[in-house]
Amino acid sequence: MRKKVLLKDIVKAVNGKVLHQGDCDYVRWVVSSGLMSDVLTTVEEEILLLSSLTTTQVVRTADMVGAHAILLACGKPISPDTVALAADLDITIISCEMPVFETGHYLSSLFFEE
Amino acid sequence: MPHRFPLLSEESSDKTPSLTMEIIFRLKVKDAMMTNLRTANKKDTFRVIQKVMRNNDISGVPILEDNRLVGMVSVSDIINALDRGYVEESVEPYMTKQLIVLEDDMPLSFAVSYYNKYPYRRFPVINKNKEFVGVLTTKDVLSTILNEMNNEITLLESQIFHDKVELPNQIIKEYIIKQFDFENAGHASFRLKKLLKEKEVSRKIIRRASVAAYEMEINVAIHSNGGKISFILEENSITIITKDTGPGIKDVAQVIEEGYSTANDWIRSLGFGAGMGIPNTKRVSDEFKIESEMGKGTTVKSVIFLEDTDEGE
Ligand SMILES: Nc1ncnc2c1ncn2[C@@H]1O[C@H](COP(=O)(O)OP(=O)(O)O)[C@@H](O)[C@H]1O
Ligand SMILES: [Mg+2]
Repeated sequence: MRKKVLLKDIVKAVNGKVLHQGDCDYVRWVVSSGLMSDVLTTVEEEILLLSSLTTTQVVRTADMVGAHAILLACGKPISPDTVALAADLDITIISCEMPVFETGHYLSSLFFEE
Repeated sequence: MPHRFPLLSEESSDKTPSLTMEIIFRLKVKDAMMTNLRTANKKDTFRVIQKVMRNNDISGVPILEDNRLVGMVSVSDIINALDRGYVEESVEPYMTKQLIVLEDDMPLSFAVSYYNKYPYRRFPVINKNKEFVGVLTTKDVLSTILNEMNNEITLLESQIFHDKVELPNQIIKEYIIKQFDFENAGHASFRLKKLLKEKEVSRKIIRRASVAAYEMEINVAIHSNGGKISFILEENSITIITKDTGPGIKDVAQVIEEGYSTANDWIRSLGFGAGMGIPNTKRVSDEFKIESEMGKGTTVKSVIFLEDTDEGE
């Protein structure tokens, strides 16, 4: 089983902002894609969905795969609808300024270091 | 006259159902106005016009000159003329000349706002060339809106299953999916997920059913003219069906291939259109069927057995 990575460590690593704090405080995997169908093919559980899209459908997709958290990169403006839906579904939603690949770089050190 | 879209009234408009708003924005003044009306000439006397009113059972007569509207004579003008003794005179000096008019191409919402703004119950209507073309009364507006709502509701009702009788040990849920409704797309799948959780279906099955339902729901929203999604939960299986009203799929074999998509850039920018939706759905389903007829619509059916088998993932 992959190790647990705490969301608060993720927030620190990417200099993120928590827009809604959900029930779960850790993840084991990161799934990143700009295509929702890609995300829907994953079989992993307890994931962090990393995306540069900020629509409500990102939150819907995260919910369908039972994601614990969503990290919206690129510092794009995030509509209140997106945050409200995440709050409704009680999924943690975090935003950060860095682009997706850079965010991924900082995350990988958290997931792979011993 | 400004051609902006006015609101009905500041506070009421966001509480008005969107269908109603859509109808009064979509309908034009010319769709509701009365045409072929009796008109008169400015040289006609009040007496002549009074007869026109009585014989045609109307309460206002437009006064024209070369198809141009130059005035209006109402019942109260006639009463004044009788009262003050100029009923045998021509209407020209007395008729109402400062007229508030509507244009035939304006949305009906504009007319509705006029009724809020002015004390009149009837407005003359002119076309782009400033020619008189009709009259719009509150009665016309009401009956036109009612008629249109009736049509819309009939349409909505026709989209709902009629044989929605649940057998014992069966739960059926149905949701309407509107075209391009990105705001609500996914809501039905969320309800399914919740239902399956309540019924203590295993996590793995819930995930497969959620993925199938969501991909199917999104497809109806982005590729069809709109339709509905139904969930049939039985003792051993969950069946998900989407049915839409067109445009249909030309080659069903093609859309089952991974990577085939007709989605445009706009849809791609929203994170859809990878051409993986149908293959994804098929992969998580124990049974999968897609039927389509061009011009008629598409029906997609996915069945997932509740007992975890090795099939579908
Ligand atoms: N309900 C539908 N009505 C018409 N065409 C559809 C419908 N569902 C799917 N399609 C067609 O099938 C293609 C493949 O669908 P899908 O595998 O879900 O990929 P995507 O939605 O990413 O394009 C779509 O691009 C579209 O052309
Ligand atoms: Mg699709």
